[in-house]
Amino acid sequence: MKKITVEYGVDSITKQVESGFTFGDLQQCDSFKAALGYGDNTKALVNGIEQSRTTVIPDGAVVRIETAANTKA
Amino acid sequence: MEKTEIIIRDNGTLTERTIQERDLKAEGEVLDELTADVTRVQRNVLVIPDWGVAHANVGLEDTIWSVGIKRIPLKARFKLVNSVLVPMFASMTDLEMPMVWWAPPEVRLVFVVRTTLEDDFVTIGGNWLFAYSKDNNGYRLPLPNLHDECSLCTGEFEDSHTTAQSALTASLEQFNRSKWNADLMRTVAQSQQFFRFRPTNETFETLPIVAADWTNLCDKVGTALMDRVIL
Repeated sequence: MKKITVEYGVDSITKQVESGFTFGDLQQCDSFKAALGYGDNTKALVNGIEQSRTTVIPDGAVVRIETAANTKA
Repeated sequence: MEKTEIIIRDNGTLTERTIQERDLKAEGEVLDELTADVTRVQRNVLVIPDWGVAHANVGLEDTIWSVGIKRIPLKARFKLVNSVLVPMFASMTDLEMPMVWWAPPEVRLVFVVRTTLEDDFVTIGGNWLFAYSKDNNGYRLPLPNLHDECSLCTGEFEDSHTTAQSALTASLEQFNRSKWNADLMRTVAQSQQFFRFRPTNETFETLPIVAADWTNLCDKVGTALMDRVIL
């Protein structure tokens, strides 16, 4: 297990997650989505740098979720 | 320049510290790089007639302008349902009307314009529309023509201006005259709970939002640009 802090807008939450938990898992995780209110179209950043969905989140990381831009269908 | 200090530590030890100082010849690019993310907040910079006061967040590359607005012009198709006029953005047959929706006090609307300075011209780099709750969270309104991160699909208009005042006025004029169509539309049900009007003798009255908490009809938004929005 590891502890991560996730920020979205002015809200943030710190939680324990499984050691193999990735940025993609975080972006899809219903409990984080419900707690912070983000949707499906997001990107994850650490220190302003966008992270790959497949990368495992390091212990103690502060992850900022941002709404991603979409395009017209 | 060299400076020597004698420090008396908590345990009584005396320590000598020598500090050397010299001014570095930092070139402009170095300073620019070091201050690339530094922005400065300037409140009440401009007044946009009929709209409100514009605040500026000035960065090295651009300026983010925030204008707190009270209304949204809704030039769209509408339908009367149980004596209440509601939008039908995707309709091709309902009546097109130039309605104006007045925001209740709990919905804080902010119209945002990004400008850059290019060859002495102020160039518009995008328009956004955010709705803020009392706890300062930003939301995407249930409107079409609005991307997930709240940038407005405004259609084309002159983006190069001689002054920031002119650029902001042009952006708001485009916002005022644009038609709302079904582009980027999700479900109209939330729009119809949010944007409602009652016909009166001479005009249309904005009705309250049909939800105990208006944010339940919107999507919460978080972007880097929002860090520079001034409420």
